[in-house]
Amino acid sequence: MHTTASEGLITERTEGIYSGCRNSSVFKLLLQDGFLGEEECNKIDDYSTTIGASHIKIALNFGFISRKNYERSLTNAGYVFENIREEAHDEEVLGKIDLRFADERLAIPLRIEDNRVVTIMADPDDQLFIDFVRLTYGLEPLIIVASDLDITWLSHKLLGQKYVKSAVFELLNSDNESSALTTFTSGQLVFIFTFIGLIAAGLVLNFKMTSIIVNVFMSVFFLFTISFKLFLSLVGSKFELYQAVTKSEIKNLDDESLPVYTIHLPVYKEDKLIKKLIWNLQSIDYPRHLLDIKLLIEEDDDKTLNAVRNLDFPAIFEVIVVPFHMPKTKPKACNYGLHFSRGTYLTIYDAEDIPDTDQLKKVVAMFNKLPEDYICVQCALNYFNRNENFLTRMFTLEYSYWFDYVLPGLDTLDIPIPLGGTSNHFKLAQLVELGAWDPFNVTEDADLGVRAYAKGHKIAVINSTTYEEANNDFFNWIRQRSRWIKGYMQTYLVHMRNPMALIKKIGIKGFLGFNFFVGATPIMFLINPILILIFICYVVFDLGIIRQIFPDWVLFISIFNLMVGNILMIYVNMMAVFKRRFYELILFAIANPIYWLMHSVAAYKGLYQLIVNPFYWEKTNHGLSKVNNQNNAVK
Amino acid sequence: MTRSKTFYLIVFSLILAVYYIFIATYLNQLGYTNHEQLFYIEKGKIITQGLGNKLRVMGLTSPLLPFYGSYIFSFINPVLAPVLASAVGTAILFYIMATSLVKRNKDNFYLYLLAALFILHPGLIYTAASGKSVYMILIFFFLFFLNMLRFYNSNTTYHVSIASIFFVLLVFSDYKCIWLALFFIPLVLSISLHSLNLSEKESVFRLHLSFNNPSLRRKLINKTFSIYSIIFILPVASIAIYKVLNLTHADDLNYFLESPYATWNIIAEKFEYSAAQTAARFAIPELSILVSLKAIVFCPMIVLAIYLFKQNTYQILTLLTPFGLIEFLKVKYDGVNLVYQYYLLFLILAMLCIIFRARFIKNQQMLKAALTIIVAVQLYIGYVFLTKSYIPEESNFASVLLNRTSNKVDEQNREIADYINTLRDTDHILVDDAVAYSVACYVKNIKTLTMPYQESYLSAVEAPEKYDGYVLIANEANPMLGYTQLTDFYLDGIRRKNRNLNIYKIYVTDYWTLYKIL
Repeated sequence: MHTTASEGLITERTEGIYSGCRNSSVFKLLLQDGFLGEEECNKIDDYSTTIGASHIKIALNFGFISRKNYERSLTNAGYVFENIREEAHDEEVLGKIDLRFADERLAIPLRIEDNRVVTIMADPDDQLFIDFVRLTYGLEPLIIVASDLDITWLSHKLLGQKYVKSAVFELLNSDNESSALTTFTSGQLVFIFTFIGLIAAGLVLNFKMTSIIVNVFMSVFFLFTISFKLFLSLVGSKFELYQAVTKSEIKNLDDESLPVYTIHLPVYKEDKLIKKLIWNLQSIDYPRHLLDIKLLIEEDDDKTLNAVRNLDFPAIFEVIVVPFHMPKTKPKACNYGLHFSRGTYLTIYDAEDIPDTDQLKKVVAMFNKLPEDYICVQCALNYFNRNENFLTRMFTLEYSYWFDYVLPGLDTLDIPIPLGGTSNHFKLAQLVELGAWDPFNVTEDADLGVRAYAKGHKIAVINSTTYEEANNDFFNWIRQRSRWIKGYMQTYLVHMRNPMALIKKIGIKGFLGFNFFVGATPIMFLINPILILIFICYVVFDLGIIRQIFPDWVLFISIFNLMVGNILMIYVNMMAVFKRRFYELILFAIANPIYWLMHSVAAYKGLYQLIVNPFYWEKTNHGLSKVNNQNNAVK
Repeated sequence: MTRSKTFYLIVFSLILAVYYIFIATYLNQLGYTNHEQLFYIEKGKIITQGLGNKLRVMGLTSPLLPFYGSYIFSFINPVLAPVLASAVGTAILFYIMATSLVKRNKDNFYLYLLAALFILHPGLIYTAASGKSVYMILIFFFLFFLNMLRFYNSNTTYHVSIASIFFVLLVFSDYKCIWLALFFIPLVLSISLHSLNLSEKESVFRLHLSFNNPSLRRKLINKTFSIYSIIFILPVASIAIYKVLNLTHADDLNYFLESPYATWNIIAEKFEYSAAQTAARFAIPELSILVSLKAIVFCPMIVLAIYLFKQNTYQILTLLTPFGLIEFLKVKYDGVNLVYQYYLLFLILAMLCIIFRARFIKNQQMLKAALTIIVAVQLYIGYVFLTKSYIPEESNFASVLLNRTSNKVDEQNREIADYINTLRDTDHILVDDAVAYSVACYVKNIKTLTMPYQESYLSAVEAPEKYDGYVLIANEANPMLGYTQLTDFYLDGIRRKNRNLNIYKIYVTDYWTLYKIL
């Protein structure tokens, strides 16, 4: 049904018309149908005043009414929800409205037709927007009612270009040196090819000697890197019982004085997880009106959008549609979401994440305690489906030592922390100042952690956990891991463009830590199979050629380093079970060398992609786990 | 701990090191030596001066850590290196213990007590001045148990992991200590049992409950296995790796344990520590059942130490593990007498308990008085144990220290080595260092010796006249005769093979004969 707004509504008493949702005929319908109560209307009015969004936006995004009920009420009253995606639009008309305003009001004027402004609205009785149209265009609006999700989709598609360009190019323009758009700089290419050339020349001139040097270097590097990891784990394990924020500190927080908290939920084709996501978000212990939850959906992701549309219970998040622009990466979506975020703090969760219920309050308490230069707090990640299969068990061991031991170790030693993919909580203003995430980096989180250190900021680690879904499928795992390893390579290349400058910024300790932690990790996975191959050829098959090439002392050192390295890594994995009492996993630590071979496969894939397709985002499929019960997450 | 106290401790440790070095060099001048010391000197010389494939010597000499501990000092003086290492190492042990003490207890009395023990206890002087690896075993033993006790307080993986790392170092200082792992099983089970969330307080009933409930049983076993693994997987795996290296480089998994070229223990246990040697001299040799009692007699302080932890099950079980170890060693190596170092473990352990618990005792006066008396008694018992030891190298130590009587065997080693030193650098002597390391260690230019680590050794054994002008033969009187092929039988053999050989005796002692072959 196309409706024309009744005239004479621009009155002098605009306050009353604009501020109370009861003045809207649509809300009267909802009240009449029993989908809203008086108390809820009061709350909607309050939230609307505080947040500045339209009543309908508040009602649909803060858990007051489900979209289905909303549509049911309006349809019963004779409204028809039009499919607006193919509606024609006039750039001149669109040029007079900003996306933020359209997004707040869930309305957008499209074109002028028959001396009227064709306007799409979720609430056809939104007087403020109707008056805006009249004042801006000097014409009466012709209102088309549509679903808020379609309006959001259309408005972001038509008006979001400025913001999406900013999301993609902001870092590149403001801090070119930190962008991964250029994968290899000329200097790095010269260095890499010179290095390869020298080895090739060495092999031609003196094959044996060069092989010996390369072998010894690789095996010593292997052991040293793993020893460093063990060292970090030991340092971290010293504080395993330390509570950065205690329960009493959380209890002492006053709900009214809490800041607005933005949560970004970047999703892509995660339709299966939407219901679960809402359950998880609802259990977060934080005042609802102070949460600013953004579900970031790609423009071409109808699956997820429809899943949200089909929810038969109220949603508690706001949908942001990210217009199409390459590269199609999670950091780009998050950067885009930043334009519409209003929190003091911001965090990111994946769709399947189950954060500790008190996580946000804990972080607020933590930020209150920390000095100003701390701009980010990283929570631990772990898995709720750890006992599903071999892969999930190994993943759990890995994450446990990483987040429970290694990151606190880095934190203690004041070495740059490569942030985890989710549950990193930022001060929003400083995040924006820092240039936000690099959309060209496929491990934007790790990169951001290092960049934050390089710019003089600090990152802390907190005793709160988010439970995720461990990848339980081999090929899915390889895809995900190849992206991570490629991202580490990207991050390393970006920050090593000028090593001297990096040393000046993060100090020699931070520099070494960065090299042995971020740089060495992919290299280690690349050389591991070579060392194992030599070991098998020598010890198992006793190939004569190995003895001919390598003298005894080289083989002695190589075997020692390889075996000790692997044992230490098994040990580090074993340590991981203690903090979380996953004792049943300890034997699986022995399988770490096999798990590392899988890493090597992913590392070679990542290296190949780094060269041929550096910005390609290998999508990890979520929702494969059969374990979806939150109770599985051991707190 | 204040900075000034740290400074004083460092100064006192330095003084202690000088005191030990003085005693050690003095004894060395008087002629006190032992197998371990001579073995390290010889292997160190091979690494520094030797010609040929030294990899086995470098990588497979056992115990590895004491060898390298000694080798570091060979740059100062190759012959004195082991005693310098033990002297400095014992001073470091004092510093580590004193630092732990000062951190926990402000009362200087205990520090003086510790200092008195280190200055006067014959066992600790033996540790410092003998050139043996006892100092290293004691250091790692102390650090291992210190971290285990800290683990019970902190309950963090950190301390248990650090303890595990020190246990690796302990095993690589004395392989036999790996058996300590066996006696941690009840302890670990107790820790796991205690951590289960049960209303029952009594351990026996907790055990009964948890074994009769599948879920609890699984939890108990998982946790026990986990704690046990985190403590002992590293040492066990390290030994496994070391065995693989032995296999790949010496074609024998147990080369480091069983080859006289890799370890001094084989010879020493056969001739020095053997109970069969002493059985004839003593009516009652060591019996397994009496070993624990003997340890308590040696160190009555351990009883007090156990008493200090009277309400702590874990700690008491921990303190009992060394008793299990010595009893086990006595059963497993029944033909071998327990050497002094195993009794010293109790002294170190007892002091560790004092360091940990003394401050919690209300009646300090009483405790101090008891400790003073016990320490005085222990000093005397330590002296008695050393002088009356069944083991020659221990009783020799006491006799050289007290009577300045030198060791006859070592005099012969030095004598033959002195003669070899007079030969020209171009001369070559065929020597089997499985037994002749005690001679080789005194040879100034080890390049003149052809030994089994060199590839030319086998050819030289086959045709000594072509490779070496000289061969060192072990005489019938030499107790280690059975461990070398370079004996009179060997000479007969090569004579039979080559009738034209002319073999002349050049220099003869009771144990060795140097032949010239033309």
